Amino acid sequence: MEYLLTGFQHVLTPVTLLWVTVGVTLGYILGALPGLGKATGVAVCIPLTFYLPPVAAIAMLIGIAKGSAAGSAVSAILLNTPGEPSSAPTALDGYPLARQGKAQKALKMGLFASVIGDFLSTLILIALAAPLAQYALLIGPVELCAILLFSLTFIGGLAGRSMLKGLIAAAFGVFFATIGIETETFIPRLTFGLLELDEGISLVPMAIGMLAVAEMVVQGGNARQLDQEAQAFADSSNPDDRRVTWGEWRRCLPVIGRGTLIGAVVGILPGLGASVGSFLSYGATQRASKTPEKFGSGMIEGVAAAESADNAVVPSSFVPLFALGIPGSVIAAILIAALVLHGLTPGPLMFREQPQMVADIYAAMLCASVILLIVGYAGQRLFAQVIRVPIRLIIPGVLFLCCIGAYMETNSIFSIYVMLAFALLGFFSRKLGFSFVTFLIGFVIGPNLELTFRQSLQLLNHDPMRLAGHPIAILFGVLTIVTVALIARSNARLAARQAADSDAVPTQQS
Amino acid sequence: MKKADFVSGLILGVFGLTMLIFVIPAQIETAPEGYISPRLVPNLTMILITGLSALLMLRSLRGIGYTPMDDSSVFFRSEMMALLKISGVFAVSVALFAWSMPLLAGIALIVGTLIALGERRPLVIVVMPTGLLLVVWLVFYRLLGTVIV
Repeated sequence: MEYLLTGFQHVLTPVTLLWVTVGVTLGYILGALPGLGKATGVAVCIPLTFYLPPVAAIAMLIGIAKGSAAGSAVSAILLNTPGEPSSAPTALDGYPLARQGKAQKALKMGLFASVIGDFLSTLILIALAAPLAQYALLIGPVELCAILLFSLTFIGGLAGRSMLKGLIAAAFGVFFATIGIETETFIPRLTFGLLELDEGISLVPMAIGMLAVAEMVVQGGNARQLDQEAQAFADSSNPDDRRVTWGEWRRCLPVIGRGTLIGAVVGILPGLGASVGSFLSYGATQRASKTPEKFGSGMIEGVAAAESADNAVVPSSFVPLFALGIPGSVIAAILIAALVLHGLTPGPLMFREQPQMVADIYAAMLCASVILLIVGYAGQRLFAQVIRVPIRLIIPGVLFLCCIGAYMETNSIFSIYVMLAFALLGFFSRKLGFSFVTFLIGFVIGPNLELTFRQSLQLLNHDPMRLAGHPIAILFGVLTIVTVALIARSNARLAARQAADSDAVPTQQS
Repeated sequence: MKKADFVSGLILGVFGLTMLIFVIPAQIETAPEGYISPRLVPNLTMILITGLSALLMLRSLRGIGYTPMDDSSVFFRSEMMALLKISGVFAVSVALFAWSMPLLAGIALIVGTLIALGERRPLVIVVMPTGLLLVVWLVFYRLLGTVIV
């Protein structure tokens, strides 16, 4: 608590607050634009933070993530095109509200639910991460290796429709992490004689290429369609249609509470992601409603449920990152690069070695929630105009910033080449359904997974029977196998149901 | 998607085998006595990728887990055209960066992408690169005190 109070002293300075505000505003705008998500924003802005003080830098990046999660509701409500997939359930009721002339009401409820979900989830992060980290310190390399393997399998299995493709992407991520000089023998691996690869492939240009550049190419291909969707919308003249009434607040507060809880739990579990959280929350609210049939036709509770869960996922996804050093989401994976860059290695030891820095980040996250409310409320009408900017005018600017972002990390054109190579990989992985999220998480986890795997081999003296002395490792090993089996069975059932549905449609038509 | 899965499984399988048989042995030396081989994890990941790719091919051949909708193409002409156009703009921009100066590369990237995506208004084509370069100069050169060379 003492550290947290000091943290507020460090954060409540004009410079830090300015950068948090810049981050939140930038994130809100990026979130509002379809296709430009929080991961893209954070990846592109990491190099910008090289020259900022550590707390301001991390606070700005977290501000982008929070702003973007909230901003994605804008295009979902006004265009029926979610800024991020996690805002898809917001569009189900938000867009009908906008068509009824109640866009301002839906936007306001989306913002309030986002801020409440985000703020409460940050409190959950603060309450859970440090105690969990104390237990994590008791874990040895064998157990950590099993946990990392489990997390990667879990994430790979859940990302996308095909578990096989998810696992291939995860294996590729780990493989690319092995490039560079091996730390034990100092033997270069797969560097092809290029000195630039001796230290391995840098995460920043890789993430910028896979997330931002690849997405811009896809958006470029769909530019005409996206611009057509940005049609004019009209606001109602009734003041009650432009604000959230007390009656609506009373109906929505329990929904927001439930959404926050669902979002926080989903965020803590690695790999599930904000989309799962928002859809679960929307579904739970619909089931709990006395008028479930009205959902999808403009129920304000639908917006509140989806947005509170969507935004609660972001802070709680930092729980496994802070407590165990395991990134549970792509945003957490990218943030690792920023945290390490600014002298904070995520994991259980950071609470012991740099408690003040951790508290500063917590304080910055809480302040970012408040700033999100202010920026979102004050700039709502302005942000609503952003979506009308033709996408062909946005892509050149984003690509230009991507190049600067990639270049700034090493001051070498080699980073641009890395960015372009992974942009190509990102484009084809998107089109073919290989999860680039799993790839990036595999790449981030890779070095730690290899290190703990090697340590485990030495500790166990290459004898699998010695695993009997590591029950936690056995537990996670079993969990990994069970998870693979369960996900495979669930995917097979889903596919069978979809096949049956698609068979039924032509039969009915004929 | 079914056909695309088969082709991607085939390509990845061949890639994995090539890495296992030729590239990894040629590019990673053997470890000194008493050390765990540095080839261990790259080999393991490639074995996993090859095995999973073979499974992917098998599933797509047998049509397990696919719906009739999965027979449609995953690549759209407009997206492939955008990929080609933006790749071309990047090629010109990188060449300008290597052989002339960053400023020209930046202008080429912004103007080239604008034109490639269908923007024809001269005012936008002039104002946008000017504005963006000015913002970058203000943020990086003036505010953050760094340079791009």
